[in-house]
Amino acid sequence: MASITLDKLVKQFAGQTVLQSLSLHVPDGAFFTLLGPSGCGKTTLLRCIAGFHEPDAGRILFDRDDVTTTPAHRRDIGMVFQDYALFPDKSAFDNVAYGLRARGVRGDEMRRRVGDALDKVGLHALASRLPAQMSGGQRQRVALARALVIRPRVLLMDEPLSNLDAKMRLQMRDVILDLVREANITTVFVTHDQEEALAMSDQIALMERGAVAQLGSPEALYATPDNAYVADFIGSANVLPVTVTSVDAGGRLRYRFAGCEFDGTPGDGVDRGEARLIARPEELSLTAASPSVANGIEGKVLRRQYLGAKTAYRIAIADAAELRVELPSGHAAGGIQTGAQVQVLIPERSRVVAA
Amino acid sequence: MMRLDIRWWPWGVLTLLSLVLVMFFVFYPLGVLFANSVRGEGGEWSLASFAQLASDEDYRAAFRNSLVLGATVTALSIGVGVPFAYMVARYDFPLKNLVAILPILTIVIPEIIVGQSWLLVFGNNGLVTNAFAALGIELPSFYGWTGMIFSMTLVYYTYIYLGVLAALRGFDGQLEEAGLSLGTPPLTTRLRVLVPVVLPAVLVNALVVFTLVVGNFAISMLLGSRVPLLSVMTYNTFVSEMGGSPMLQSAMSMISIAIVAVVLFLQKRVIERKMYTMTQGRAPAAERVGSWQAMAFTGAVGIVVVLSMLPLLVVFLAAFTETSGPVMKWGQWSIGSLARVLGNSPEPIWNSLKFASMATVIGVIFAVLSSYLIIKKKNLLTQWLDYLLVLPLTISGTVLGIALIQSFNAGWIVLAGTSAIMVLCYTVRRLPFAVRNASSTLFNIPDSIEEASISLGVSPLMTLFKVVLPAMRASIASAAILMWLTTVSELSASIVVYTGGLETMPIAIFRQVDGGRLGLASAYGAALVTVILLPIVVAVKVFRIQLFSSR
Repeated sequence: MASITLDKLVKQFAGQTVLQSLSLHVPDGAFFTLLGPSGCGKTTLLRCIAGFHEPDAGRILFDRDDVTTTPAHRRDIGMVFQDYALFPDKSAFDNVAYGLRARGVRGDEMRRRVGDALDKVGLHALASRLPAQMSGGQRQRVALARALVIRPRVLLMDEPLSNLDAKMRLQMRDVILDLVREANITTVFVTHDQEEALAMSDQIALMERGAVAQLGSPEALYATPDNAYVADFIGSANVLPVTVTSVDAGGRLRYRFAGCEFDGTPGDGVDRGEARLIARPEELSLTAASPSVANGIEGKVLRRQYLGAKTAYRIAIADAAELRVELPSGHAAGGIQTGAQVQVLIPERSRVVAA
Repeated sequence: MMRLDIRWWPWGVLTLLSLVLVMFFVFYPLGVLFANSVRGEGGEWSLASFAQLASDEDYRAAFRNSLVLGATVTALSIGVGVPFAYMVARYDFPLKNLVAILPILTIVIPEIIVGQSWLLVFGNNGLVTNAFAALGIELPSFYGWTGMIFSMTLVYYTYIYLGVLAALRGFDGQLEEAGLSLGTPPLTTRLRVLVPVVLPAVLVNALVVFTLVVGNFAISMLLGSRVPLLSVMTYNTFVSEMGGSPMLQSAMSMISIAIVAVVLFLQKRVIERKMYTMTQGRAPAAERVGSWQAMAFTGAVGIVVVLSMLPLLVVFLAAFTETSGPVMKWGQWSIGSLARVLGNSPEPIWNSLKFASMATVIGVIFAVLSSYLIIKKKNLLTQWLDYLLVLPLTISGTVLGIALIQSFNAGWIVLAGTSAIMVLCYTVRRLPFAVRNASSTLFNIPDSIEEASISLGVSPLMTLFKVVLPAMRASIASAAILMWLTTVSELSASIVVYTGGLETMPIAIFRQVDGGRLGLASAYGAALVTVILLPIVVAVKVFRIQLFSSR
């Protein structure tokens, strides 16, 4: 177990900066997720931590040990790969035993630990199978057991669920969480799936072009996104260009959109002038077109989409903008049909962030 | 990512070592050859030897003949290979599975055995020749164009057949259905859709066949007797210039290389312009055919398989046939030839085994290491290694032999006259095949399994031994077998570099045929075929190795 500290990491490939002076701290024992679209540098960052890439500048610390120049095989990490990376000619047992043998663990102790590890992932009966004779989910379990059996200081996982089908993916989330919680091991988990990140993590670092866009708990990232990129990547959000007219010290803010004034909640560092309103579809509500109410904006229902538990509305509002509103299907407004004139209520808690 | 960003230990050092070896044993000999070709009698810079060749009527005839032979055999190979491939890909008929054996036969049966056995059938005093003579019919002479074209077509059509078969099997049947649905009639559709797919495969492999025919030594030498050909003339010039200044042989070698270079250039053009990649290769199912058609197809396959296998049979028959001097007494059995070969002069057998096994071990180790560096540790240096390792493919065996003997017969490394030069020439000649074989598997081994091993605490160098090599052991075995059977039957380069005491089986066969002792030649032939087939049978039956699957 160890905390991980990244200090101003820089990594370039062929002149292209992939990590731009990135600093992060992963607390001891945390389940920490690097989230972001492809090309944002999350895998590069993970591979720097693993030691497969050497950063061009900056330091990597496990606890207080500087491992920046330590070769990968001496970092005492466990790693789970996207394609599982099982040794094709070795049985499940030998795959799991590989790291123990490399550490000089032999005989009964080795067999006991491999047996325990396979037990924990529910594969005891398949110990003698070759990778080619196992399903994707089973291979992933072997890969997990192989990484955990050596009791590494940190566990690194590179999109481990992306090759599984949807159902198995949900199941494996629990398997992974149970195992790492039990081992109480610091885990860095890379994914591009925001739902996976929200469901599994203690902390998420959402990355954008080689830098951290926002760091925080899943709740914080969803409820208080710092900018439109974060809001859009995590969950879905309506983002409208607005003009802030006043910000007061009490945490209240007024903004203007399409000639009307609204009350809102200021995000970090927002000031008067151009800004972005971030409104989650489920924060918004609909009401009759008249009489006009505070924080309401007129619109016309372009399409009503019934989605089972909820109903989604596409509403055209002023300035050729559109809003997406989601209401529980049993809601009173459920009867609103395509073509109806309505008012969309934007709650005061909707955040206005810097443009 | 082609940066010169090299970690010197261990891969950088190994890359450098491989590069130095390849530079010294492949690139340097070609340089020596080139230097000798542009030198006059006194060692001055001169194009005299090229001028001499240009004015030599015999050489011009040989040049013409080689090109004509190449074109003829290529055309005939296309004529046999393309319909054959189409038949096998698109139709289903009795005994069709027999065709699977064809590509193996071509690799397994040495050219010298093919040439020799057709001599035993159609040559003076051949089986068929004698049978017809007994009926009072005199067959036209098999020596010269007839024999060469016939035997070479039987050897080389498989290249076209395999290439076209692969193209047809990778062909998306939906394209044909799309054509039909758009309203073109079936035959037109087939031609319009299939031809662009098959044509590049035909062209590319036709160029390969052409270079192989022009560089062919064994069959040309045995059957070509009165027809002057480049490869034979180059060899003869080498023999007659022995000890003197190697001007003419070098110039001839350079011209042979130039022919191959031109062909390779054309091939690259063809590949770049004409190759389409099928996005989705679901070949249409083979169609069952009616009775008369089935008989015709089965018959055609039967004839081709029998003709391809015949050399094996004939060589064993002849090895056990009574001989008296050059005369084969067909029908009278005897173990005299075998007894004389095994009892009195078994040296070529031991030499072949020794040289081929050493070349196989060295070649496989080097091929595995260098393809690992080329594929898994890409950088500028390994790129160069990759280019250099293809070089031996562009040189015919005769030319390679001449280059090696010119480079290592004097100076600070003298290999001529030692076993080392035989092993060297085997290794260099067949290395490209072994590299290709190892590379194809390495491509399919994901980088992540190496990283997994490293993350588990095993150093990169040990990872190569504990993870990568075990994962590719099947392909190492098949590379070794391929290396073994192509080196043990190598003739054209080794006959140039060998000296007394270094004779191998193919060389012995060649010399016995040359001396008219077909019985002894056949005994050596039988021994050669045995040492080729044994490891294959063992590999396939005992170790269940899938040979030739990666082709």
